[in-house]
Amino acid sequence: MTNPEYNTGHPHATPNFRNLVIRPMWITMKTALRTIPYIGKAKFLKNNYHNQRANMMDEFTSQRIGNNHPSKGHIYSADRESSPALPFLERPVTIMFPYERLEDMEPWLFVPGNYNGRIGIVWETCTACKACIKACPNDCLHMTSETRVNVLDTTNEGDEWHGYGSELEAGGLAAREKETFKQIEDEFDLVNAHKAPPQQYDFAEIIDITGDTATVRWQDGSGIEEIDTSVLKPAEQDIVSGRIDLGRCMFCGLCAEACPFESFFMTNEYDGMTGYNREQLWMDASRTRLLPAVHQERVDMELAKRAEKEKKKRAKKAAKLEA
Amino acid sequence: MQTYLQLWVLLIPVLGKQIGDFLASSDWLNIRGWTESIIGWSMDATHDLLPSSMQSEFATIQPALESFFIATIMCTVVFAVMMLTLMVVPYIERKFIARLMDRIGATTSLRSLWIGEGNATAGDWWNKLPMGLGKPIGFVNKKLNASFGNDHPEKTISRVNNRGYHGIWFLFPGFFQALADFMKFATKEHMVPDKADKLVFEVAPVIIISTTIMVFAFVPFGPHIWAANPDLSLIFMMAIFGVAPLGVFFAGWASNNKYTLIGGMRSAAQLTAYEIPLLITVLSIAVVSGSFNILEIIDFQIETSNTWNIFILPLGAVLFLVTMIAEVERIPFDMPEAEAELVEGWWTEYGGIRWGLMFAVEMMRAYAACILFAMFFLGGWEFPFQDSLSSLPFIGSSFGLIFTIIPGLVWVLLKAWILFAFFVWIRASLHRIRTDQILEFGWLYLLPLSLVNLVIATFLRLEVWSESGWPIWTAPLLSLIAIFFFVIYAIDEDEEALAKSRRPYSTQTLSKAYPGSQRK
Repeated sequence: MTNPEYNTGHPHATPNFRNLVIRPMWITMKTALRTIPYIGKAKFLKNNYHNQRANMMDEFTSQRIGNNHPSKGHIYSADRESSPALPFLERPVTIMFPYERLEDMEPWLFVPGNYNGRIGIVWETCTACKACIKACPNDCLHMTSETRVNVLDTTNEGDEWHGYGSELEAGGLAAREKETFKQIEDEFDLVNAHKAPPQQYDFAEIIDITGDTATVRWQDGSGIEEIDTSVLKPAEQDIVSGRIDLGRCMFCGLCAEACPFESFFMTNEYDGMTGYNREQLWMDASRTRLLPAVHQERVDMELAKRAEKEKKKRAKKAAKLEA
Repeated sequence: MQTYLQLWVLLIPVLGKQIGDFLASSDWLNIRGWTESIIGWSMDATHDLLPSSMQSEFATIQPALESFFIATIMCTVVFAVMMLTLMVVPYIERKFIARLMDRIGATTSLRSLWIGEGNATAGDWWNKLPMGLGKPIGFVNKKLNASFGNDHPEKTISRVNNRGYHGIWFLFPGFFQALADFMKFATKEHMVPDKADKLVFEVAPVIIISTTIMVFAFVPFGPHIWAANPDLSLIFMMAIFGVAPLGVFFAGWASNNKYTLIGGMRSAAQLTAYEIPLLITVLSIAVVSGSFNILEIIDFQIETSNTWNIFILPLGAVLFLVTMIAEVERIPFDMPEAEAELVEGWWTEYGGIRWGLMFAVEMMRAYAACILFAMFFLGGWEFPFQDSLSSLPFIGSSFGLIFTIIPGLVWVLLKAWILFAFFVWIRASLHRIRTDQILEFGWLYLLPLSLVNLVIATFLRLEVWSESGWPIWTAPLLSLIAIFFFVIYAIDEDEEALAKSRRPYSTQTLSKAYPGSQRK
């Protein structure tokens, strides 16, 4: 009876007779019975939506107002309308956020994928490919990245970290020292210059590598060139800043769909998306950060993919050394 | 002249048998018998009063005239019964759906007993009961209302606080809302859209309304309350029932509006898909009961077999119910109206009395569907297990007395209203389904199932049925099989999905935010 085609990941989302007919009819019948005095009090008709009490006093306020304050011990239930004569018939109107939360009262709304909440990014697996930015229809994602040469990639034979860095590969980035490389390194005084250091490298996209010759396209626009790999160093695109203007976001989730690296998520969270002006809705990396542990499965998948790649690389390297 | 008058005789096969007591099941409310005797007596008297030269001529047309007058009176009676009892239907619709969809309990809190309705508060309502029966409650209500209610010392403020209702003391509040609505519709302007096909636009409501009212000519409200009874009344009735969708399609097309056109198209598609299973199911009822006559089908259930058809053909009952809900275009099959997407579907452009009458007709069709279900499956005018209750030791005779006193009309109406409440329950619970799903459901499931049902019915009639009635095991076994399948489908739970639904991550914030938490 269960059609695997319809396995939507949640038992209540499976369109079978039970969920489409029996359960809705049972729910409405319970609702109707609940409106009858006395019979409506029967236990099996109760749900956890009604008769919830909220204590609105937190510890800090409790300390501040002292023990004699009339608010002490007061249980607020402003959203439960009832009559003093017949308190058993109540109507919850509002969820008293943040003392009560929708997650507690209606947890069934929080099925994964049920709605798009705050954007969460696992920055650890982000490669700055900017697919999300291209996908965003509202231009609310902003990322600054910089092409750099990683120190790991500049190690020489015999260094402690030698061999751990990345390698030149087709589709990747490469860097060549400028002629002024040594001069800049020697002469530039970072402490007193009060400006960014001048670029020491020329960067290029590697189109193809055959043997010791690489075909590269220089990023300064000087065209395609075939060049010996010995003068090239592997370069990479690093994120300098990633910010989201949540004031423009319409939570369509296209960015999360566009992400090829399992690092962009629409979470279920709705906290912390407020501010007193639009600037406060600019969320920087720390406000969009999702801990890898939260999406451990996905991050593990991505890391496994990368480990596999690294393993292949090392095997190739070893084979090359042997040869 | 004489020849033309004799043409009335042609009506007799249409109007059916004139003798009301051919039914084995009967009750004292013999409206048809009374009518027949009065008409027969007056016709005989007319015959005797005429000059003797005309008497023989009159005698040739007398049966035809009697038949005509009886049919006219019975049509009026049935129409009156239908219209009066129809008022209960929208009342059930409104009041029951309020409870079914009432998440907050406000409709029915005990508070509503003393919060005022109309110029009189509920306390006054109690006070108006005859012989002061409600005075004690009225007093308590007054006190409660003064403390916790809407009453105000200023009389005008009180009247503003207390909402109005159309009701009088012996009926429930809101009962005459339908009448008030009718008055409103009747006084509204009649407008035809500029680019509409005016003739078809005007004809369509007539087709819909007249055919629906005609259905009730063949619907018996009791053993002796029916207008016409041709031998093939079942087929005649279903044929007329199927004409209204044509009018719906006309209306949708003639309005020259994209919404009405889509609604009309959907209506045509849906009703084609559901009318065939409906007719095949109705055929299975005729097969099991051995008759195409509605009265005989009921009589078969009450007297001949003494078993309601729902216990013999549970699958047929389900199919009939589903196809009928689709046929009368109620939720979940109200796709032709679909007010969320098509404004109001095929009747978007209608207004005033045409709209009002078509709305009444909508109710009438649902009501007819309920009555027909009661006729075909629930034994018509018989109380459940009436014979068994009457034959109980000691208390059986008192049951028998009750069943003698209460006419069959009461049971018919109660069954129809309860079934309508079931319709409302379904309406409150289920979603409207999509066009392709509705057609898929009709063609791929209901049509084969109705054929299976027909095979079952034929087998039961040919192999199981004997002149002495159903064998003792038939009804319990078939009902148990139906209950078994219902339970199997009702407890069907997707265990795999349940296991899958565990969240891979938590959405809950562990330390909840509250005022002051940021100050720590």
